Amino acid sequence: MIIEKGANNYTLAQLEEIERIEIDLLLEAIYRLYGYDFRKYAFPFVKRRISHRVYKEQLTSISALQEKVLRDSEALMRLLSDFSINVTEMFRDPSFFKSIRTKVIPIINDYPEIRIWHVGCASGEEVYSMAILLQEEGLYNKCRIFATDMNKEILEKAKQATFPLDVMQLYTKNYLEAGGKRSFSEYYKAVDDKVVFHSFLQKNVVFAQHDVVTDQSFNEFDIIICRNVFIYFNKDLQNQVHKLLYDSLSLSGFIGLGQREGVRFTSYGNCYKEFEPSEKLYQKIK
Amino acid sequence: MKFKTKLYMSVGSLLLFIFIIAVVLLNMLEQTTVKMNEVVNDLNERIEMATVMKYETTRIGFELVFMVTNSEEMVHLKAKQDWEESQIKLYEAMESLEKKDTEERAQELLARFKTLYQNYQDIGQQALTAKRLNHKTEFSASFWADAEITRQRMLQIADLLSVLEEQKLKSELFRTKETYNLAVTMIYIYLAIALFIGVGFTFWIIRSMTNNLNKVTTVMKQATASNFEEMPRIELSAKGELGEITVAFNKMAEALEKHSLREKELKEDAKAQSWLNEKIAEIATIYPEVESVPELADLFITKLVPMAGASCGIFYLKEFVNGEYYFKKLSSYAVLNDSDTDIGYRFGESLIGQCALEKRLIILNDVPDHYLKIGSGMGESPAKNIIIIPVIFEDEVLAVIEIASFETYHPLQIKLFEAAVNNIGIKINSILSHVKLEKLLLESQTMTEELQAQSEELQLQQEELRTTNEKLEEQYEALKHKNEEIEKVRGALEEKAQQLEVSSQYKSEFLANMSHELRTPLNSLLILAKILSDNGDGNLTPKQEEYIRTIYSSGNDLLYLINDVLDLAKVESGTLDINTKEVELYEVLEFIDRQFSPLAEQKQIEFAIEMDPGLPANFETDDQRLQQILKNLLSNAFKFTETGSVTLKVQLMMQEMQVKENTRLQQMLAFSVIDTGIGIDEDQHEVIFNAFQQADGTTSREYGGTGLGLSISREIAHLLDGFIEVSSMKGKGSTFTLYLPYVQPGYKMRDQAAYEEAAISLYENHGDTNEDPIKQRTKSNLKNKKILIVDDDIRNVYALTVALEMYEMEIIVAENGREGLMVLEDNPDTDLILMDIMMPEMDGFEAMRQIRSLTKFKTIPIIALTAKAMRRSREECLEAGATDYISKPINVEQLLSLMQVWLYRKES
Repeated sequence: MIIEKGANNYTLAQLEEIERIEIDLLLEAIYRLYGYDFRKYAFPFVKRRISHRVYKEQLTSISALQEKVLRDSEALMRLLSDFSINVTEMFRDPSFFKSIRTKVIPIINDYPEIRIWHVGCASGEEVYSMAILLQEEGLYNKCRIFATDMNKEILEKAKQATFPLDVMQLYTKNYLEAGGKRSFSEYYKAVDDKVVFHSFLQKNVVFAQHDVVTDQSFNEFDIIICRNVFIYFNKDLQNQVHKLLYDSLSLSGFIGLGQREGVRFTSYGNCYKEFEPSEKLYQKIK
Repeated sequence: MKFKTKLYMSVGSLLLFIFIIAVVLLNMLEQTTVKMNEVVNDLNERIEMATVMKYETTRIGFELVFMVTNSEEMVHLKAKQDWEESQIKLYEAMESLEKKDTEERAQELLARFKTLYQNYQDIGQQALTAKRLNHKTEFSASFWADAEITRQRMLQIADLLSVLEEQKLKSELFRTKETYNLAVTMIYIYLAIALFIGVGFTFWIIRSMTNNLNKVTTVMKQATASNFEEMPRIELSAKGELGEITVAFNKMAEALEKHSLREKELKEDAKAQSWLNEKIAEIATIYPEVESVPELADLFITKLVPMAGASCGIFYLKEFVNGEYYFKKLSSYAVLNDSDTDIGYRFGESLIGQCALEKRLIILNDVPDHYLKIGSGMGESPAKNIIIIPVIFEDEVLAVIEIASFETYHPLQIKLFEAAVNNIGIKINSILSHVKLEKLLLESQTMTEELQAQSEELQLQQEELRTTNEKLEEQYEALKHKNEEIEKVRGALEEKAQQLEVSSQYKSEFLANMSHELRTPLNSLLILAKILSDNGDGNLTPKQEEYIRTIYSSGNDLLYLINDVLDLAKVESGTLDINTKEVELYEVLEFIDRQFSPLAEQKQIEFAIEMDPGLPANFETDDQRLQQILKNLLSNAFKFTETGSVTLKVQLMMQEMQVKENTRLQQMLAFSVIDTGIGIDEDQHEVIFNAFQQADGTTSREYGGTGLGLSISREIAHLLDGFIEVSSMKGKGSTFTLYLPYVQPGYKMRDQAAYEEAAISLYENHGDTNEDPIKQRTKSNLKNKKILIVDDDIRNVYALTVALEMYEMEIIVAENGREGLMVLEDNPDTDLILMDIMMPEMDGFEAMRQIRSLTKFKTIPIIALTAKAMRRSREECLEAGATDYISKPINVEQLLSLMQVWLYRKES
């Protein structure tokens, strides 16, 4: 519980109400001052992240955090990075990538140009995974991967294509499970206690800052990968972002969601067919 | 009268008559027979008695004679007995006949017979009495005649009696015959009467029966011709079976009438039902496509109201608001003033609520005119009838429907409402539960998403924590390191302080005793001693000569000591100059050779200088100082070696060296002085470098020397950026090695970075210098890792070995899978295996499978070396247990990267 001072006279429900108001105010303030819109993020998530920040900043209340964030853009940046959960792996959920390789690729094989959008690409692991996959399928040269995230810092990190050595064993396993056709070591070079992925993988990748909450569609894509982004949004925002993705996806284009996500309960549920239900791969049908 | 009774009566009366007749006749016959028997018996008896009377009468005559005439006692007695007997018999017969035949004539005769009998008895008695009185009495003829006459008359009467009785018998028989004839006549008469009565009865019965049956048949015939709806009845008052038939028929007719009526009704019902079903089916067609209750309500009410011929209707749905159920208007059909202002009705509130509460429909007929109006654009008119129907599913009211009409509701309409409402109840329920399910699914979806978000956050936090942890650990390590360093420094300081104390003590002593001026008297002393030892005068005893020599050599020692001390003092005060210049290695060694060869000869010790091939010809250093160190080391070697050899070995090698705090690898020249002398104990290794100390610290030292040589050498080596290492064991000789950095001539050491760069560029002949620091680090990651290469191609093995040994990895080799397994068994500490696939004896797949089957090698990284051409082999490799694979021909850089990935161990 963040609000503890003078809390003796309040019931738990009241405290929660106070907290809710504080959070709403904080998010509103951030939106109005900085333009970042977290107002429709999933409330429990926002609450946890804010609590975390309050604790880290050694503050006693969300209101105090609000004051700090409004007057100190450094504090805002810290809060923003709290909201940006950059958990990812190369070939995360290998079966997903295997499905892309074995089920989707044969369909888009003869497209003259393939545009792919990675929404919320974080540090780029999945982007490079996709690049490797396309490279091995011989499609990379006609592909263009747009990798976006709202967090500028993480994009910088993504551009480095540098990952710690300790996760590489897992990534190699994932690569193999995802049906990798070559030797994974062909794509990286160990440097120090890190590995650097070869720059040719970045050739057709465009990293850009883009916030699906506030920004608009910028192209039409054949594949949109938006994994574990919706889980941070409330229903309203999910629908709003689904509209954006729907508008950005070409007819019979594919959209890949996270393992725990789905289109069923969104307003665009009937616009997609389940292409590979177990992998949350959908195809736009209308 | 009942038909049965009639039959019983007619047949029964006939039987009764016959029975009576039979009884009467039998009676008569029996009577006749009995009488006749009686009569015949009686008469027979009488005749017999008469006959007995005749017989006895006859007998008594003889017996009387016999009795009277026979005087012999015996015979007389016998005769008398017979006489008496006959008398009795006669009397008896007479008496019984008298009893039996009561007829007058017989009585008369009997009476006469009796009198005669009496007479005759008296005669006999007289005779008897006479005889008793006189045996010989003779009876007169008269007597006999008299007696005979009596007897004859008796006989006559008996005969008469007999004839009388016989006549009686005859007349009796005749009478019996007459009786029999009468009986027969009577039988005939009775039979005739019975027959007549029987026929009459029968006739009467049959007539009455056929008559009634005909009536029944006629009516029945009529009945078959009729349409079963109105059937004729049998009008018959008769009772009994026919009466019953009549009643049964009438009942049947009635039943048939009822049945046909019912059938008609049923037909109508079925028609109505089929209409109903059709309508219900029509309503049901709207269900499948509907997914929400409002939509359903709309469709339902707009369909139902016109279908039932009603005019307007409202659909109320039960909703839960503020803890209470309300029936809210959800949809309506043609309702005037249709506004949604009302919040609905609670249970029991208004007729809607009441209907819901009671769970049954409510019909209002003839409602007042102003109650409700149904209107169109042209006009409006009051509705007359309202029906309110609850929608019930599983005994729960889900909704209420109200429908108004101008007409009174026909039962069929009501039925339609009921059926339609029943169906919609099911549908509403299914939609509601579907909605509920959807909601639950949505909730569960939200929950899983939330869960995923939390899990990602957690992962992130874990990552953060790990980073923090690592940082902390690093800091802790650094701190520990610092502490250790401090500790070390502190120790060193302490040591230094002690040394300082000691050395300053020595120094003060020496400095006190050996000022520069000391050398002058010492020199004079030495010169004088030399002169004396020459013993020019020859007046010295050998003993004295010996003394003198001792003085001389001691003085010399002293002089060396003073020189050394001065050197040491210079080093320590930092005033010793180092003059770096290009030095010919050969020259240095030649100088050493010249210096020590004679000594070696003198001590009869082998002395050799060994030079590695590939040594540079020249390098940068201070040759004077280098010579000084070598001289020092070699002098020591010779000093402590009595037999064996002293060798100076020169090599160029990579060696770690301490530069400030850092250890780095450095190419260095190593000058090793190897002797076979007494050696030094391990714990003395450090001590010998201390000033004024030898390994043997006791006062009675066997070997001379100041003990300053090594100390000075070490200090000089440091000044030359090198160092001295010692390895030795007591009794096994010692090796002192001087390491000097190998600096190419003309190369100036400017600063540390340049130095490092130089060292690396020397070591690595290829690659761009930018990557070199990385390589340096790489090396430490891979260093000392034990790698097993399993490959049959010796060139491959060689190439790999060379490449990997550059990174100081320990390489072990096997030529095929089988050998690989054996080698692995011998080297369980192997860190990684490079496995070729195509090999003789046992190929890579099999080898990997076998390795994986051993528990201790379950996780050892195995890198398969696959030929690029074999596409299939990749999967096979992984199946066989390969951790990763790399295609041949092998790119060394790629291999090293990959090995780093798989050799990576998180530092614990």
